[in-house]
Amino acid sequence: MMAPFFKFGLFGDNLGLVVAFAVGIGMGFFLERAGFNSARKLAAQFYFTDMTVFKVMFTAIVTAMLGVYWLSVLGIMDLSMVYLTPTFLAPQIVGGLILGFGFVIGGYCPGTACVGIATGRIDALVLFFGIFAGIFGFGEVFPLVSGFYNATPMGQLTLPQVTGLPYGLLVFAVVLMALGGFYGAEWVEKKMAARKVEA
Amino acid sequence: METRSAQPYWNPYVAGVGLGLVLLASFVVMGRGLGASGAVASTITAGLNAVAPAHVAGNPAFAEYLKDGTSPLKDWLVFEVLGVFVGGYLSGMLAHRVKKVVEKGPRITTNRRLTYAFIGGILMGVGAKLGRGCTSGQALTGGALLNAGSWAFMIMIFAGAYALAYFMRRQWQ
Amino acid sequence: MPSFLNNLSLNGRLALVAFALGFLALFAGTPYHGAEAVLNAKELSLVMATDADQVGVVTLADWIIQGKSDFRVVDLRPEAAYAAYHIPPAENISVAALGESTLQHNEKVILYAESGERAAQAWMLLKAKGYKGAYLLRGGVEAWKDSILFPRIPENPTPAQVVQFARTREVSRFFGGTPQALAGDSTSAVPAAPQLAMPALAMPASQAAGGGGAPKKKKKEGC
Repeated sequence: MMAPFFKFGLFGDNLGLVVAFAVGIGMGFFLERAGFNSARKLAAQFYFTDMTVFKVMFTAIVTAMLGVYWLSVLGIMDLSMVYLTPTFLAPQIVGGLILGFGFVIGGYCPGTACVGIATGRIDALVLFFGIFAGIFGFGEVFPLVSGFYNATPMGQLTLPQVTGLPYGLLVFAVVLMALGGFYGAEWVEKKMAARKVEA
Repeated sequence: METRSAQPYWNPYVAGVGLGLVLLASFVVMGRGLGASGAVASTITAGLNAVAPAHVAGNPAFAEYLKDGTSPLKDWLVFEVLGVFVGGYLSGMLAHRVKKVVEKGPRITTNRRLTYAFIGGILMGVGAKLGRGCTSGQALTGGALLNAGSWAFMIMIFAGAYALAYFMRRQWQ
Repeated sequence: MPSFLNNLSLNGRLALVAFALGFLALFAGTPYHGAEAVLNAKELSLVMATDADQVGVVTLADWIIQGKSDFRVVDLRPEAAYAAYHIPPAENISVAALGESTLQHNEKVILYAESGERAAQAWMLLKAKGYKGAYLLRGGVEAWKDSILFPRIPENPTPAQVVQFARTREVSRFFGGTPQALAGDSTSAVPAAPQLAMPALAMPASQAAGGGGAPKKKKKEGC
């Protein structure tokens, strides 16, 4: 069991920063390949005309999920050493809602905004300044909101733990859901395209 | 600035596999996933710390980004985000998609669009703090790890965006 | 069957692979194997033969005084014992909690307990789980009390021993201990049940940061 390499002390923090840079390059590259430098393409998801966001996100999730699962099952990776962000149910639900609002109003998320900026999108740059403002503002009023911010802590919680179902079963369920979603997405896109032709 | 026409985007599933493999590599090598909003917070903390360190130390929302001794900028996510800029530019350049432009629908003015972009950004910043991440960190990373909070967060992002889409249609369509 | 596979589009093939891997997951069991550990018996016995796995109390005391912060000290005893007294920069982590602690695999960790047995067991567990930097404190808290907090000078000391004891006394006072007075006092009892109120220490700044900030050491890994 050798992975995650960093957690087993195979290299130190500084090399970790180099890895970070490399990972970022990969992330930015594929986000742009998918077309996520364009707010129009990103926002189209929410009008059902272009379901790329859903397709890319869930393909990535399924890919990584299957990789993590199988590497762990085969003993190549120690899953318990991979960092799991602790769950804070209420603020995360509200935060997701707010982020969703921001997404359809602004047209980018923080990661894709970087890709947009890198390819010249001025609106991405303005949005990025907005993110700075939002995080700064949040920090400044933190004493007022910290109660809610820290509400409903549930620790590191996985879906298998919540549902009591075996990990492998949930893996299969997510794969099925994603495949079904992709089929549905293709269908919706065709429908919307046909409607546009008619109109 | 464009001399050649932009190439079409990749098959989204292939791009998704690529992104997923990058995420997997991050898990295997570092034992952590991706992110973006944390880098912004680190940068703000670094900037504030230079002018008002006592203020930063007293506020947990910023203090958590302080490192013992070194700059908050010497942070994994900051370096990762720098890479995102580079990777995005690389891909855009290879596909002739780098263009100084404001993305918007036909029925809205540029100024309006930029205003919305800024407001959207503010909401994103707030949502990312409450949610402990954004789509890269929570949805992708947490999604792949079957993190319960991340899945809840992700579902709510889609819910919120779809809910407000009708009111924003003039911006995009 | 082959023609079916050949006729599949790229997307179809991707979907098929995903489906297959997902389906097999139903039968593959849990991905968590963290409770298991692998012991490299040969490597460990070699380490044990050279005492490379141990740190003496005097060495540790020196490191603390010098303000070295490249290591962590872990007190494996129950909370009550830890609260009554612990070696200054130590964190209280029980053996059971070691796995979930913030200990990194490549950082130097010095384990101690009452005398040495528990620390040795914990050392073995950590080494088996791949923690390269685990060490045990030879003699545990008992040795610390004997040599550092309440050092004694032998009867009829040689000049060399007197000089040595002067240094030992300084170390002892640094940690708030009570070195035995010289000449004539060697027969007075070593404090039998010492009132070990935690000595109030003026810790070197860096060590204070290291010890008190131990919770902060956990790297921020979210987004």
